[in-house]
Amino acid sequence: MDRAFDLHRTIASLHQARVSLALETADLCFLISLRERADRLSLASFEEDALVDVFMQVCELTDPGAENPRKRATHAIQRLREQRLLARVDGAGLIRAGEYSLTRLATAVVDFYLADDALTRDSLTVLTKTLLSQLADIKASASRARDDADWRRAVVEPLRVTVADLVSGIERRQRGLDTQQEEVRGRIATLLQSDWFGAVGDCEALLEQTSTTLRELNEVLLQDAVHLQALLQDIEQLAADFPHAPAEQAAQRVAEHVDRVSAWGSDRLRAWSDYYQYVHRYLRDVVRLDPDRAVSQRLRDQLASWLDRPFALGLAHAPSIRLLREVDARAERPPVTRPRRDLEAPLEHVAPHDARAALQERVLACLRSGVTSLSAVVSRVLPEVPERDRYRAAGSVTATVGRDPRARSAVVRPWVQVAGDLQLEDWSLDDQEPSR
Amino acid sequence: MIDHGYERLEDVIQDSIFPEVDLALRAGQHVDSEDTDRYAFLVAAQRLLEPLYLRYGADLIHSPDRFFFLVPRGDRLGRRHLSTGEMLLGQVLALMYLDPATVQAAGVISRAQAMELLANLVGEQRLVAALNPRRRRRHEHVSQELARQELDRALRSLAALGFIELLDDEKVRLRSPLMRFAEPVRGLADPSAALQRLARRGLVDLLEPGPSEEPPEEGGEG
Repeated sequence: MDRAFDLHRTIASLHQARVSLALETADLCFLISLRERADRLSLASFEEDALVDVFMQVCELTDPGAENPRKRATHAIQRLREQRLLARVDGAGLIRAGEYSLTRLATAVVDFYLADDALTRDSLTVLTKTLLSQLADIKASASRARDDADWRRAVVEPLRVTVADLVSGIERRQRGLDTQQEEVRGRIATLLQSDWFGAVGDCEALLEQTSTTLRELNEVLLQDAVHLQALLQDIEQLAADFPHAPAEQAAQRVAEHVDRVSAWGSDRLRAWSDYYQYVHRYLRDVVRLDPDRAVSQRLRDQLASWLDRPFALGLAHAPSIRLLREVDARAERPPVTRPRRDLEAPLEHVAPHDARAALQERVLACLRSGVTSLSAVVSRVLPEVPERDRYRAAGSVTATVGRDPRARSAVVRPWVQVAGDLQLEDWSLDDQEPSR
Repeated sequence: MIDHGYERLEDVIQDSIFPEVDLALRAGQHVDSEDTDRYAFLVAAQRLLEPLYLRYGADLIHSPDRFFFLVPRGDRLGRRHLSTGEMLLGQVLALMYLDPATVQAAGVISRAQAMELLANLVGEQRLVAALNPRRRRRHEHVSQELARQELDRALRSLAALGFIELLDDEKVRLRSPLMRFAEPVRGLADPSAALQRLARRGLVDLLEPGPSEEPPEEGGEG
């Protein structure tokens, strides 16, 4: 799958478009019949009459007494078209009856029910050998590639299409073999249920057959996967040296795919091995020791009457070893208290301290001393004020000076540096007495 | 280290796996052949461990179904028998172990299947009454809830004893020690005689039937 594939966007668009797939048994049979006819007669498409004929044949087999088969055929064709299982390919519209072909979706659905191409030693060997040969060619092309066009034509596209299809082919057959294994498990259970002791031989044969198949496949996969990975690494290295990022990424993607395919072999072999052991144990301990299958019935009777004749299995029940803790004399913890104090403490006389009034007093003193500008007042008063309070104090000084009738503000006030980093727009003070 | 045989008891006790296996057996666990290391150790050390446990008044049993367990005969080692819930559930699980239908999933079943089969075979009312022995005139829902809790406890206990393996909240894997529940009916002898024989060996305890229970109330006080 393309790495640029955006799952969230795809799901959102499918949801928005209300995409759905609903197939009745008759529809499935219809599709399978169409596929069979296409294969048998080498047809690429079907005329509308041919579709109706096939549907009516299916109807005769599945629902012989059905009324209006032609009308049902029309509805079925419409249903399949709406679900994009049949596509009209002639483009003639209303001018004449249409011509239809099965879509990729329909082919995939039919393949699921018909395909029996499970992985075998032969098919796997053919596929892996073809894959090795393809990769060897691609590696040779990669070593000769001179420009981006060469890389894309001779490396990226073959890796993306041919090689990926071959690996997918192996994976598809692996899924086929998974289905077969599931069927074998079902068959073993059915054989035991129907024939009990008589089925032991058949069950063992089925187990052995599947085990052999899986073991052989795993051997081929382990052996060939090493060669495949080596070739892919060479291609990736050539792409990295050139450098050509798309080719490098394409080789990495195929390598991951090959890893997945080879991991399948060991996973399935392990899972099957567990099942194999379980069934052998079952055949040996249960079936062979109870050839008449009498124990089950007797156990059933025992359970049904257990409440009237109860018994219980005896078991060892030694208590776990008691580990004693170290002796630890508990320390006497003093109660939590706080020192007693007289809550009615006598009040003290403290001289009032009003920093704002003191500042104002100092400003007025400056004004009385005959300073001629606001900046002079601020420069004289501010050094006595703690640095963190100076900005606020400057505002307070300016307010006091502003109330003085001598204060004059020019149209363009000059900026003057006062204590520290502070600058202010200066006012002048003419030679009159302050009002206060 | 697991060897194919030990010369002396000291070698057995010196093996690093001994404390683990010894504690498991004394706690009533069953060690089956799926538990590869512990089972192989017991097979190798069986000849020397049997006399050791006999001195504690207990038999180390090696079942033909390939599992070990310890059964005390005297009072030197603690002993208990399975509860009503454990016995009922154990017999149902043994029945499922014998059923070829469970072979397809390699002995993996769901809790719901086991509970359903138990209710069908014993009868729902009798089952609820058996699992609530001390409570009379109870609300039906309360009794059912208590029975469910008892069966859940029994399932966990059977898993701890090695009869089954709990794979998740729903899935249960059946193991060969379940065949102990079928022991009284494995031979062709009369089951009562078989039970007497097993009781003499200390493998089962024969119990008195519980008092007949009043049917649960349809409604009212719990």
